[in-house]
Amino acid sequence: MLRQDSNDDTEDVSLFDADEEVSTRSKKSKIRHPVASFFHLFFRVSAIVVYLLCELISSSFIACMVSIILLLSCDFWAVKNVTGRLMVGLRWWNQVDDDGKSHWVFEARKASAQGKKVSSEAESRIFWLGLVTCPIIWVIFAFSALFSFKVKWLAVVTMGVVLQGANLYGYIKCKVGRRTNLTSMATSYLGRQFLRQTVVKDDQAES
Amino acid sequence: MRDLKAVGKKFVHVMYPKKSSALLRDWDLWGPLVLCVSLALMLQGGSADSKEDGGPQFAEVFVIIWFGAVVITLNSKLLGGTISFFQSLCVLGYCVLPLTVAMLVCRLVLLASSGTVSFIVRLVVVMAMFGWSTLASTAFLADSQPPNRKALVVYPIFLFYFVISWMILTFTPQ
Repeated sequence: MLRQDSNDDTEDVSLFDADEEVSTRSKKSKIRHPVASFFHLFFRVSAIVVYLLCELISSSFIACMVSIILLLSCDFWAVKNVTGRLMVGLRWWNQVDDDGKSHWVFEARKASAQGKKVSSEAESRIFWLGLVTCPIIWVIFAFSALFSFKVKWLAVVTMGVVLQGANLYGYIKCKVGRRTNLTSMATSYLGRQFLRQTVVKDDQAES
Repeated sequence: MRDLKAVGKKFVHVMYPKKSSALLRDWDLWGPLVLCVSLALMLQGGSADSKEDGGPQFAEVFVIIWFGAVVITLNSKLLGGTISFFQSLCVLGYCVLPLTVAMLVCRLVLLASSGTVSFIVRLVVVMAMFGWSTLASTAFLADSQPPNRKALVVYPIFLFYFVISWMILTFTPQ
């Protein structure tokens, strides 16, 4: 692709565009914060792994419970304060006014005009994947603990569901924005999917 | 770090309970979590079967503290309090600190001897810390209630710390 003859301006311009495109494409798939991505997944996955393997690793129920609690708290703090901000540019917190009223604030970082701070797609995918699958797994654990009458684990599992569900809820609210509420967003999404499917069916019927 | 310093500041505020906005305004639940876990760990090895290794007791202490705090918060909110849910949880959790200190002292006393004298010492220490906890949390929480309802709010707090003090006092290691 490298041209020796650089007298032709148009060739230079097209080369420059191709380079720019390649670099933005690589930026989108590059992971900019490898440490944050690692820890985002590490705490969640290790909490689940410890819960599953606790019978095998150690005979002490307390050690397992304390380590799961510590991992869940570290994960909550890391996801809420660090990885959400770095990986997808969202954050949420609770603010108490001077007169004692508390309200929750959800913020999303605006994409800058030239796309300099393009959030990479790989990071965003890792973030949302970790954020959504782990609470679902903890809910499954909750049902299994309930139905197999292992009540002593219910405290830990409840804590897992609450902490990870809270992060999930907070970040979804950040993403969606304060004006729309979640039910209207869900119904509009389902409506769009239904419309798309009927249009595709019509196309197939016609052809 | 910022969060660790905030937690440390709140611990200091509990030990010297004056009406401060730090505990109320910037609430966080890390202190209560640490206190709850350490108290539950110290209450282990109590008069339970050694085969069970005190497993259910750990979860029991945990559940009692958190469930009790949630119930008190709901009670104060239903009575028309102006404090928010998490702020109240934060205050109640942090005011468990004197009782955790009492537990530490009790364990040390029990290492030395376990006769009548040690029981009296433990009783005095636990009662003092129980009073301190109740006063500290009342100082923070009662102001958010209308004046004729203060007793209704203080009574569940009294019960809550009484139950924890009872668990601490009746702890006998094996």
